[in-house]
Amino acid sequence: MESIGTFLPLIAMMPFVGALFPGLMIQAGRNVCAMTAAVPTILAIIMLTICAPAVLDGEVLQFSLPWLPSLGLNVNFFLDGLGLLFAGLILGIGILIILYARFYLSRQDPMGQFYTYLLLFQGAMVGIVLSDNILLLLIFWELTSLSSFLLIGYWKHLPEGRQGARMALTVTGMGGLAMIAGMLILGNIVGSYDLTVILENKDAIQASPLYLPALLLILVGCFAKSAQFPFHFWLPHAMAAPTPVSAYLHSATMVKAGLFLMARMWPVLAGTPEWFYIVATTGLITMVLGAVIALFKDDLKALLAFSTVSHLGLITMLLGFGTPLAAVAAVFHIINHATFKAALFMTAGIVDHEAHTRDIKRLGGLRHLMPITFLIAMLAALSMAGIPLLNGFLSKEMMLEEAAHTVWAGSPWLVPALATLGALFSVAYSFRYIVHVFLGDVRQDYPSKPHDPDFGMWAAPGFLVLLVVLIGVLPAVAEPLVRTTAGAVVGGELPYFSLKIWHGLTPALFMSAIAVAGGALVLSIHSVLAPRWDAAPRPEAKQIFDAIARTATVFSRWLTDMLHNGSLSRFAAIFAVAVIAAGLFAWTGGEAGPPVREPLEIAAVPAIAWALLVLCSLGMLVFHRNRLLVLILMGVVGLIVSLAFIYFSAPDLALTQISVEVVTIILLLLALNFLPKVSPKESSPGRRLRDGVVAGAGGLAVAGLTYAILLGDFAQESISAFHLENSYSGGGGTNVVNVILVDFRGYDTFGEIIVLGIAALVIYALSQSVLGGAGGRWLASGELDSKKAGDRHPLMMVIASRVMMPIALMAGVYIFLRGHNEPGGGFIAGLVVAIALVMQYMASGFAWAVARQRVPYHTTIALGVMAACFTGVGAWFAGRPFLTSDFGYVTIPPLEKFELATAMAFDIGVFLCVIGAVMLALDSLSSMARRAGETVNQLPMDIDPARRSVANATDKMAVAAGKEA
Amino acid sequence: MELLAEILITASLVISGIFGFVGSYGLLKLPDPMTRLHAPTKATTLGVGGVLIASMLYFIVLGDGLSFHELLITLFLFLTAPITANFIAKTQLHRNVPMDDLPKTGTGRPWATYESDEARAEAEANRNP
Repeated sequence: MESIGTFLPLIAMMPFVGALFPGLMIQAGRNVCAMTAAVPTILAIIMLTICAPAVLDGEVLQFSLPWLPSLGLNVNFFLDGLGLLFAGLILGIGILIILYARFYLSRQDPMGQFYTYLLLFQGAMVGIVLSDNILLLLIFWELTSLSSFLLIGYWKHLPEGRQGARMALTVTGMGGLAMIAGMLILGNIVGSYDLTVILENKDAIQASPLYLPALLLILVGCFAKSAQFPFHFWLPHAMAAPTPVSAYLHSATMVKAGLFLMARMWPVLAGTPEWFYIVATTGLITMVLGAVIALFKDDLKALLAFSTVSHLGLITMLLGFGTPLAAVAAVFHIINHATFKAALFMTAGIVDHEAHTRDIKRLGGLRHLMPITFLIAMLAALSMAGIPLLNGFLSKEMMLEEAAHTVWAGSPWLVPALATLGALFSVAYSFRYIVHVFLGDVRQDYPSKPHDPDFGMWAAPGFLVLLVVLIGVLPAVAEPLVRTTAGAVVGGELPYFSLKIWHGLTPALFMSAIAVAGGALVLSIHSVLAPRWDAAPRPEAKQIFDAIARTATVFSRWLTDMLHNGSLSRFAAIFAVAVIAAGLFAWTGGEAGPPVREPLEIAAVPAIAWALLVLCSLGMLVFHRNRLLVLILMGVVGLIVSLAFIYFSAPDLALTQISVEVVTIILLLLALNFLPKVSPKESSPGRRLRDGVVAGAGGLAVAGLTYAILLGDFAQESISAFHLENSYSGGGGTNVVNVILVDFRGYDTFGEIIVLGIAALVIYALSQSVLGGAGGRWLASGELDSKKAGDRHPLMMVIASRVMMPIALMAGVYIFLRGHNEPGGGFIAGLVVAIALVMQYMASGFAWAVARQRVPYHTTIALGVMAACFTGVGAWFAGRPFLTSDFGYVTIPPLEKFELATAMAFDIGVFLCVIGAVMLALDSLSSMARRAGETVNQLPMDIDPARRSVANATDKMAVAAGKEA
Repeated sequence: MELLAEILITASLVISGIFGFVGSYGLLKLPDPMTRLHAPTKATTLGVGGVLIASMLYFIVLGDGLSFHELLITLFLFLTAPITANFIAKTQLHRNVPMDDLPKTGTGRPWATYESDEARAEAEANRNP
């Protein structure tokens, strides 16, 4: 059945693809928008229908596609009975909700957004129920949390909506995190993340010592999602969402995701006492608690929300019993609950829509005004109460039957009694929904005159109620689906059962009778009970949640401020201390290798250079407030370091260091132009002492570590030998440094040039935003330096830099070309050419030079990255992985034979990126200079003897233009 | 021949050493920035020049043959030294010397460093109507 299996990813993808369109099609009108949303859902339903017969015959459809196989994450889907049921529910009710929402949403609501969110959510849900890989399932799981956040907060203008959305995201999201941990443990026990494999390893999982932690973590996720005690509090607050969302997410689908997962994991997790006591007890508590609270809620949707909590508890309890028949009952109740509860939510929405209130105290007597709505609501509510001939009755009977046989901690009556109590309150609030809203006298004080809505609005609940009655009267129609699904949950043979209305005079029937009678009785004294309930002290979940959230926020803020209050010196100090501590830990805990090398003799010249280095560093410490002096000392340090590289035979590093040094010092000098020339004293002596101690410790630690490494050997064999051996044979170059950069570690370099480009863009963006703000105004105010020198572009400098330009470019090209075999390469060549350009800019001014520069620097950076990228992509055409290099030897007479390597094209990318980045940084500084009042010259030099006779007019214009600029 | 070359090389090195020392000493001892500027100029031209001559001789007689590196270095030194000096002088004038302390130019216009862009444009326009 491979061919049908390929439908599975399509079913999961369809809503995601469809989500793109409603937002666009809203331009064409609301009907078109709703239809656009319906199309992908209908297509998915059709595909599911094609798959259905095979699944009902007992087949399991599968589809698999490797995604990140090394992590065990694959796009595996499978469809069995359970998946079919849930996918059918999600898509089927989805299409009804799309219809209903079309009429529910008002003109002010952005409908396109709504349908987009809804389809995103639908896709995520379908993804959960079809996933055959638990990691994939987790991804979809988190997607439902995110998309439901968007849906609950759909009415962004309502604070309740935003708070409810946040609470739902927090609770379900944290549950999701716990679940990730649980699932990873499970995957580790089994050794595979594929659900079908995990489901076959019951014994291994239950025997593992990690079974309990995994179970607890997964259950936390399920309970949070399915609003089980003590996580039940988020569901009522999520009711701030529009009613279609409540009907869809909070009755039929999302809250059932937790149940789905418990059912899915049932074969491997259930059957142990831990499972029974945790799951069944939680379900029981939730069922009773939810039912009791629901009775006393005056808001229609709150009533329904807590009734949902209660029914979810019921299903959880059934799953917790761990017997196959209980699983059958759970599956059946999932179907029934989805039908009647979605219908109830929609009728609540209709009432709200027509009467403009959901407060039960302000309603009553609607039976006469809204007969159709009344019929639908009554049938659905009676089903919820468990009245015979409706589907709720059947599954509730089965639940009571199972409860009657369940022994809890040696007590045979506790579970049946509490289950009956829950059922009793369930009957009470269901009756209340009918009696207090629809029955009674017609009132005159509704906020708006209610009447039955258009067909479009009641069609969806009407259809669902039709199902309610159909299954209620003829349970056999649902039997094949229930049988297949329950078979998939149990993962084996089912015991005999039959869905029928009359089972004889069973204990369940008596319990049911007690519940109905008791429920009616409780409702009759509701007016007496309600004030007492309201007066009774009880914990308010929202306040507790808010208090916890507030505390967490205060704590996080305190921690962040402690570590990271914006003071760079504090940040650096924390970093340094942490690194030193980690280093000390490693040093004391580990074992350093013995020194195996003798230190070199210290010759006179290196000793002098070293002394100079130390002196300059000390000088920087002493004179650090004089910024210009520090910069000069820094230059000296840089030059000595380059010399040191030459001394230790690292010509590549020396070349790089010296060119980087030149560029850095020039850029820093330019930047210094806009900064105070002296750093003010800002820290207290104590703080300076602290910083000095930290810095000294860090310096000494690094020096010591370096010394130890220089004298000793590495713990592992270094990779250098491999590089040296393979540089020529593998990369086609004898300059190992360059071959490492462009070939062995080409991917790193690719990332680095992108980072370099981004850094340059960020400098540009920052300087632009500074110029737009207070900094720009300060520069423009002329406080910087009003005394301007004349003859800014002296003849000698201009001419010399022009002469140097071709020579420097030539040197750049030379260094670039020889880079593969001799010291050099794209990076150094880029710097050399950049320096040649910077010289022109220094000589004749930035604006003059940039006017003669055709390609913008942003483009240069982009071209560089693209050149590197396309070189890498080129390897694909040769059937090799990204960035695999190749080289060959070419002879073009009369030249000698020479080498061409793809790495060279890559190196061009590096080259361009470096030039673009340096020049863009220069550009940013220059735009600051212009803001500070520097005029723009149109001519290369200020005093040009050759120009005397012709220059006057042009000069005048130039000055005028400069003033404007 | 070799002995002669060695003597010549040694002499150049010693001369360059002396000039280098004198240049550095002058940089330290001369009274004001403008005079001090002269000291390193001597050091580069004569001091570094001596080393370059020594190096060339060494490669011609004792090494691999004629080497052009020294000529290039000379070229770059000749290019950069005057420009550096020019800029240092301009900076010194701009920052520390009032315009009136300098001798008159005799043209009615100030020295270039003191003349703003607008003034220069106007003056040149007036001179060549």
